[in-house]
Amino acid sequence: MSNTDQATLAATQSQRPPFYRDATIIKWLAQVLALLLVLFALVFLSSQAQSNLQAKGIATGYEFLGTALGSDLGSGIDTNPDTSGRALWAGGVNTIRLSVGGIIAATILGILVGVGRLSSNWVVSRICSVFVETMRNIPLLVQIILIFVVIASLPRVQADQGPIHGWLHISNKGVSIPRVFIGDGFYQWAVFLIIGALAGWLVMRHRNRLHDATGRETYPVLSFVAVMAAFAILGWFLHPAFGWVGSIFDFIAEAIDSLTQPVVQVALSVAALAAAALWIRRFLNRRRTPAGLMKLSDDDYFRIVFAVAGAVIVILFVTLAWPGLSSWIINSGRDLFEVLGDKFGDGRTGQPIDGKRPDIEQLGNFPNYGPAGLNLIQGLAAVYFGVVLYTAAFIAEIVRGGILAVPKGQTEAAQAVGLRRATMLRRVILPQAFRVILPPLGNQYLNLTKNTSLAIAVGYSDLVQVGQTVYNQTGKTLEVVSIWMLFYLACSLTISVVVNFFNVRLKIVER
Amino acid sequence: MGMPMDPGAVTAADPAEAWATEAEVAQKPEEPSLSAREWVRQNLFSTPFNSVLTVVFGAVILLIVRGLLNFTFSEEREWDAVRTNLRLMFTHAYPEEQYIRIWVCVGTVVVLAGLSLGLVAGRGRGVSMKKISTSLMGAGAAIALAVVLREPSVLRDADGAVRRDDDGVIRESFIEAMADRWAWWLLAAVLAGAGAALWHGLGDTRRRGTFVPSVELGVALTGLLVLSGWVYPWGHYAYADGEFIAEPGRTVAMSTKLPWTVMWLLLVAFIAAGRALRRRGAGTRTRMGLNFAWLLCPFALFWVVLRDPALDWARVVSVDIPIAVFFAALGGAVVWVLTNPRIGELGRIIAVLLVGVALLNWVAAFFGWYAMLQKVRLSFLLMAVVALLAHNFAGERAKRLRLLGMWVAGIALFHYMATLMNAPSTVDTPTDALIGGFAITVIVSVFTILFSFPLGVLLALARTSKLPIFRVLSTSYIEVIRGVPLITILIFFAVILKLFLPDGMSISQLAAATLGYTLFSAAYLAENVRGGLQSIRRGQYEASDAVGLTTVQRTLFIVLPQSLRVSIPPLVGQMIATFKETSLLAIIGIFDLLRMANWVIPAQTQFLGVKREGLLFVCVIYWIFAYSMSKHSQRLEKKLGVGER
Repeated sequence: MSNTDQATLAATQSQRPPFYRDATIIKWLAQVLALLLVLFALVFLSSQAQSNLQAKGIATGYEFLGTALGSDLGSGIDTNPDTSGRALWAGGVNTIRLSVGGIIAATILGILVGVGRLSSNWVVSRICSVFVETMRNIPLLVQIILIFVVIASLPRVQADQGPIHGWLHISNKGVSIPRVFIGDGFYQWAVFLIIGALAGWLVMRHRNRLHDATGRETYPVLSFVAVMAAFAILGWFLHPAFGWVGSIFDFIAEAIDSLTQPVVQVALSVAALAAAALWIRRFLNRRRTPAGLMKLSDDDYFRIVFAVAGAVIVILFVTLAWPGLSSWIINSGRDLFEVLGDKFGDGRTGQPIDGKRPDIEQLGNFPNYGPAGLNLIQGLAAVYFGVVLYTAAFIAEIVRGGILAVPKGQTEAAQAVGLRRATMLRRVILPQAFRVILPPLGNQYLNLTKNTSLAIAVGYSDLVQVGQTVYNQTGKTLEVVSIWMLFYLACSLTISVVVNFFNVRLKIVER
Repeated sequence: MGMPMDPGAVTAADPAEAWATEAEVAQKPEEPSLSAREWVRQNLFSTPFNSVLTVVFGAVILLIVRGLLNFTFSEEREWDAVRTNLRLMFTHAYPEEQYIRIWVCVGTVVVLAGLSLGLVAGRGRGVSMKKISTSLMGAGAAIALAVVLREPSVLRDADGAVRRDDDGVIRESFIEAMADRWAWWLLAAVLAGAGAALWHGLGDTRRRGTFVPSVELGVALTGLLVLSGWVYPWGHYAYADGEFIAEPGRTVAMSTKLPWTVMWLLLVAFIAAGRALRRRGAGTRTRMGLNFAWLLCPFALFWVVLRDPALDWARVVSVDIPIAVFFAALGGAVVWVLTNPRIGELGRIIAVLLVGVALLNWVAAFFGWYAMLQKVRLSFLLMAVVALLAHNFAGERAKRLRLLGMWVAGIALFHYMATLMNAPSTVDTPTDALIGGFAITVIVSVFTILFSFPLGVLLALARTSKLPIFRVLSTSYIEVIRGVPLITILIFFAVILKLFLPDGMSISQLAAATLGYTLFSAAYLAENVRGGLQSIRRGQYEASDAVGLTTVQRTLFIVLPQSLRVSIPPLVGQMIATFKETSLLAIIGIFDLLRMANWVIPAQTQFLGVKREGLLFVCVIYWIFAYSMSKHSQRLEKKLGVGER
């Protein structure tokens, strides 16, 4: 190629196309337009909602959380809440309890059924398949309502009846079983448990290293459990010794209380700017080669501008648009640590964990379950058994798929090196199956948590049902829906963070 | 249509379709057929532990079956509550004299299904004779078991009252009960005998491995069912004009058996027609046309048959048709001009101008600058989108003509539906709900699936795009929707959507609910499609860039077809989920199947508080549909061979 050709080529390349044909500009123009369109639609709709609400004489805002609620809840930590906020809180706690209990039971049942479907025993595998196909193909809501109706048609509560009197009662009021609950000294005891876990982890690490170095069987997991149990037993008797932990939390609460609003605003602004700066630095670092910084394209400049713009929007938001956010952070932080200080504080010397058996009391004409036992009242029992059975069917399929996904060669290889069947399952098959099972399992936990919201159909006071009561009384539909969304998003986030944590740990380390 | 029993005769008639070919049978490895004793030993009592499992779980299953039988056939069950309210459960308060419309709907679907079955199905292997004979024997055994397990019937006085003593009702003795159920014993014996005869008559393994095509088998079985409507005294039950009719001992009403017979005949006729088309070499085009008809039929059936709009013909002729013609002509011109490969820069300018006009129309609507029909605005928008995409479809004359035709057809369809939607309905229902029960379940799920699919694909494309703002918008939408329960979204749309609408605009509760379902389901669909998009190899992108395709061309012609093929099984799974989720309509107060069973029927004076029967019936209905869909999706998965490429 001659010199002149190269010069022409360079000249053509350096020439920019006209702006309306420039791919970068068109792309960003389209994106900014789309963003504006979305924002415009949101603003338009919310202003419409505001004016519609004003026409009805309903003011927007969250003040209703502090006002009295005129109705009781069926069950929960507080059946007669003073305020709407307290009622929603009690409903949220009910949802969390229902979800956690449901996740535990559904996992156990699901694993049993999933393994059962692979059983060589024809009767067992058939029962498990029928269970899975029945549960999966009937809508959960129909199942919940059917269970509810069936419970309602059971015989009345009797003073001396129940399949196992004093331990298990089943009647038209639901199911009552013994209750285990955390007692007064639980939090101090928890400090012992944490220290025990730490010590156990250290021992386990040491044992693992010993095993790696010498090849001897050192029982790392067993020693972890032993250390943990030793601390738990010790703590059971010595837990009042940790009464001083509460004062640390009290101190933190005071420190947060002494902050002023501008301090928090400045801190948030600095955090936003720092995040933007960090992002830009990382972004530029990725474009740095040994020969120096690569030439930035227009795209890259746009990205940097957007990062800065995002930080500025955050700053404007916390300083001008919603200054109350900062004082809200101060107040709720202080309250949180005050509660912690109280829970961990002195003067709580009772048993860490306690238990009670169900009792039956007769207040009016008919006997009913007393407050001692763990009462799965009608609605709760319906939702609980509904979500557990439904989710268990899905978990069973996931478990089955995971076990089938382990290549046959793995089993054969394990047999070839002479592993016993139990060792093979524990060391070869299950670890690999678990890797396949975990992500969809996390998805099912999310689904279960969301499905507990169907409690609204059987009148169990979970968050959604309480929320409906609240908006029926106050008319604050928008606010209640926003609380629902935030709550469930937080639950989803928590579950996915936990599942991701294990997922990352289980990943095959690739070279 | 009977079941062909003699393999030789049918093989001679149509060897390729009706029966597995000799080669296929030969390919199948000889399955060692275990004797019954050997089978039991291997599958039930191989080890001591297995024996214990078998005994324990066998006892459990017998107890469960016994409980279910005694519950279902108990004298206290009021199955009349379901029988008399079948109409309510399927169509709610739809006026009886208008039922012909619903039959037209069902008939249309049956015709399309028949054509599809004739054209496409029947190439699989069908049901093996071995399976048929074992199912027959199994059915016989199950009936015998049920007869033994069901507790003895109660004794009745001469006037039919149940006899009681201090302990409750008096039942006949076990021996008497077994003797009384002679008809059931006979049925069990006939079924089991037929199965065994078939098994031994077929003789060796090779013949048992032959296949009966499933279409013929299904048609024969449904035919038997329809025929039983004419001969077997199922009884006549109805709840009409507030009157409760229960006439056991006669055949079902003419208004039931006649239409179903017609439907069955239609099915048979159109399967035959489809077969004939296939034999005459109907190609891809016929199949495409059929798919298109499937796609259109929900809209056509819903607007024309169920709603039956009362058209104001003067307005239709003076306003609606001219507008449609205008857009057909203008848009046609735009398509024709912009798909010319030589148009160059001018095409872009025209497209951008059209987009400007379309957007201006919407802005003007918000500020009220000038009045315009909503469908005109939508048509402008449609035209602008087509103009923007047009250069991707540039080509020779024939191709451009085809595109022009597609535009005209599309705009005609759009205006047809817009006109129908704006006209009032002539269907006079006693409540403000047009239709209810199971019909509403079908309507909501079909429209949800139809609308959420394109939306889901767009969201998935945006989420995997390289453009950060699109990605962030789409990701946050998907994650927020997937993070919250459906019921909160439904309540939002049923209760709160009204607040967001501008003055004068309103939306029916059903439309709002469908919108909620669509937006919810789209987020899940998007994740399924994204899985498919991620399975596309890099080389596909590089190759399409190398041959100079534009981004739109690459997406439409290379990426989407491959990725959608991969994501068909999860998409069907999502369809099943949507179908099941429609039961939530009951909570927001729409009269669907579940609401009938749990709230409406128990409030009738004849059936106060009767809930369990109706709910069980609802369970069975949902189960049948969801189970058959999931079975179909499993077959589809195998057929597509996903993961095998």
